[in-house]
Amino acid sequence: MEVGQMQRQWVDYTKSLFLEGFLDGQFLQLQQLQDESNPDFVVEVVSLFFEDSEKLLNDLTRALEQPTVDFKRVDAHVHQFKGSSSSIGAQRVKNACIAFRNFCEEKNTEGCVRCVQQVKHEYYLVKSKLETLFAMEQQIMAAGGSIPMLELNF
Amino acid sequence: MAALQRVAQSSVSTTASSYGSCKAGGDVLSPSAGIEMAVPDQFPVGLRVLVVDDDTTCLRILELMLLRCLYQVTTCSEATVALNLLRERKDCFDVVLSDVHMPDMDGFKLLEHVGLEMDLPVIMMSADGRTSVVMRGIRHGACDFLIKPISEAELKNIWQHVIRKKWNGSKELEHSGSLEDNDPHKRGNNDFEYTSSVNEGTEVSLKGHKKRINAKEDDDGDTENDDLSTSKKPRVVWSVELHQQFVTAVNQLGLDKAVPKRILELMNVPGLTRENVASHLQKFRLYLKRLSGVAQQQSGIANPFCGPMDSNGKLGSLSRFDFQALAASGQIPPQTLAALQAELLGQPAGNLVPAMDQPALLQASLQAPKRPPVEHGVPFMQPFAKSQSNVSKHFPQSVISAEDASLGFGRWRSNSCSTVAPSNDHGGLSTQNSNLLMGIVQQEQGQHKRTQQQPVLTEPSRTFNVQPSCLVVPSQSSTGFQAGNSPASVNQSSSFNRSTVIDYSLLSDQSNNSLNVGHIPTGNLKTSGTLGGYSGPGSICATSCLVNADNSTSYQNSTATFSDSRELPGSLHNTANSQGFYVDKSGEMLDQGPLRNLGFVGKETCIPSRFAVDDFESQMSNLNPGRIHVESSGTLVKQEPSEDYVYNAKLGFHFQVS
Repeated sequence: MEVGQMQRQWVDYTKSLFLEGFLDGQFLQLQQLQDESNPDFVVEVVSLFFEDSEKLLNDLTRALEQPTVDFKRVDAHVHQFKGSSSSIGAQRVKNACIAFRNFCEEKNTEGCVRCVQQVKHEYYLVKSKLETLFAMEQQIMAAGGSIPMLELNF
Repeated sequence: MAALQRVAQSSVSTTASSYGSCKAGGDVLSPSAGIEMAVPDQFPVGLRVLVVDDDTTCLRILELMLLRCLYQVTTCSEATVALNLLRERKDCFDVVLSDVHMPDMDGFKLLEHVGLEMDLPVIMMSADGRTSVVMRGIRHGACDFLIKPISEAELKNIWQHVIRKKWNGSKELEHSGSLEDNDPHKRGNNDFEYTSSVNEGTEVSLKGHKKRINAKEDDDGDTENDDLSTSKKPRVVWSVELHQQFVTAVNQLGLDKAVPKRILELMNVPGLTRENVASHLQKFRLYLKRLSGVAQQQSGIANPFCGPMDSNGKLGSLSRFDFQALAASGQIPPQTLAALQAELLGQPAGNLVPAMDQPALLQASLQAPKRPPVEHGVPFMQPFAKSQSNVSKHFPQSVISAEDASLGFGRWRSNSCSTVAPSNDHGGLSTQNSNLLMGIVQQEQGQHKRTQQQPVLTEPSRTFNVQPSCLVVPSQSSTGFQAGNSPASVNQSSSFNRSTVIDYSLLSDQSNNSLNVGHIPTGNLKTSGTLGGYSGPGSICATSCLVNADNSTSYQNSTATFSDSRELPGSLHNTANSQGFYVDKSGEMLDQGPLRNLGFVGKETCIPSRFAVDDFESQMSNLNPGRIHVESSGTLVKQEPSEDYVYNAKLGFHFQVS
């Protein structure tokens, strides 16, 4: 596949991520922050996010497995996750977190357990999507091309 | 997937730009070392931001966004570390961005601490945008509340809070009538501050109860921006002679009718502008007001000091007492005292100077027996005055004479005229001061005009002594003195001095700080060139954060680790812009030969960038921030004992003042 084609594929894929709600405007901001002086910024930040999230989700799951659930703690974790996911523009994850917090406030263990599943689901989904995206980027650059600048209007 | 080499939880990372630097603390900085590099007159470029957030993702994003705004960024993932950092490098930051939810300390608590101790503007952030949370933030004194995710545009604007706080702070102390003069002054003064060739320290305005609640005020600051880039105005040194001329003119005109224009005409001093006179007049009036204010409140002096500061009179008194006490304690060599005075004279009238001069004069006039009460002043002096008995002696006297002053200046004056001589050495004032006073008193003797001339007597010894861009040496001794015992203590610049000196009292701190902001012509703020920041006085700036190293190698190492087999583009960080290096976990620098001596490593204060930069200066482009990630084992900088002392003293005051 030649570079131009790869680039078009990348653009299409990215657009779809936005259209399907996986990513929102914040992700665009990250992309705009990336430049020659910070060429890997997006990957860097998203990697940070992935790392933090793994830990967070583990903590979350464990917290909900406790005999007596500490909802404050759970809420704190969810809040954190909401913050970081929204910072990178992982919209669906963020939304799942918002729903989660409601259940926390209600101290609804069952609801929370379900939410954790939902959040995890969304998280792994966006994770794989982003990894695919990054792989495409690598291919483009390996072929000597550059990542196009996105211009999406929301 | 291995992420790039991430700093651990307790780490602090600093992104330095070529302008602005923080000096290593713990030693008195020599004047010449202060001025690091040319700072572009492009406020808010170079604004020094401290970001605190336990979420590393957010932290990284914010960091880059702030860098994009051409701010100087320091990131911190732990609130406690951040607080220590702020305490140690008080003047190295202009604004703090803090997350609300943090594991080790509640963001609001941090907010309060910062407000209390450093009076920096704090902006809260949270993913939680509920009204109740935002309300809490405001109540705790946040200047602003940003809801995550935060956009770069929002960050671009945070400088307004820095300006607003400073201007409001100085505004608050401008109680006297000539308000019309205020704004042009402030503008002019702020021109002065922000357009200096070296980043001056601007004193962060007072904090205090009401100020924290006072977080948002309407700021006409937008229009000021234009002023910020105008040229500097030369500072006027209000020497004794000049002041005497001023006073003479004022007396001739009558205080009520003394307008700057006419005063200027009468004074007939070439090069003196109406604005200079106006600001001086303003201070003068403030001083007079405070005198009368003190007289009225002398019985309740202790209480006002303990409570939120509402009146200038109290402010003035406290600081007055401070210096009296210090003077009284005889700890201060005349040199220091004079230097201090010079420093203080940068303060608005009535704040400090009278304190220095009053003891002599007031004592002179004091015919009545000493009154017992004013012991209440003493607690404030405790940490500082060695001989408290002296202190207490002075309080009543100054108070009394203030009373006398308000009752009958004429009488007072005649008293003082006759008795000044013998009492000259009371309170430990330097002989030279007393002599000055003598001379002035005798001069005034002939006038007998207005009751309010009495304070005038003290004025002449004021000298507004500011030099454009060097440290005012006396300030160093002042700080030494201020710390109470060790002349070798803490500080470097006079602006530091001022605040540290005043730090004794919450109030005078406030007044001085804010006043300094507003009164550039007479302040010594300029000297904070050492800081390279917009900050004001305070304790040491611990580190010079400028490490603009072309450390592409280390950068490369770290970035390489996190991308999965992603090839780094050839241009990666070999551009001039790419600067940054990582300190690995063991605290050793990677590939940083010349920088090794920086020894950041979590324990030491940062070495002044001067050392680090030598090899890289040629590669530095002025506006490129470098990045340093430092692993901190907990505390980044060790505190100087004297710093603690001051700090604790402040805390002590806080407790007292509550």
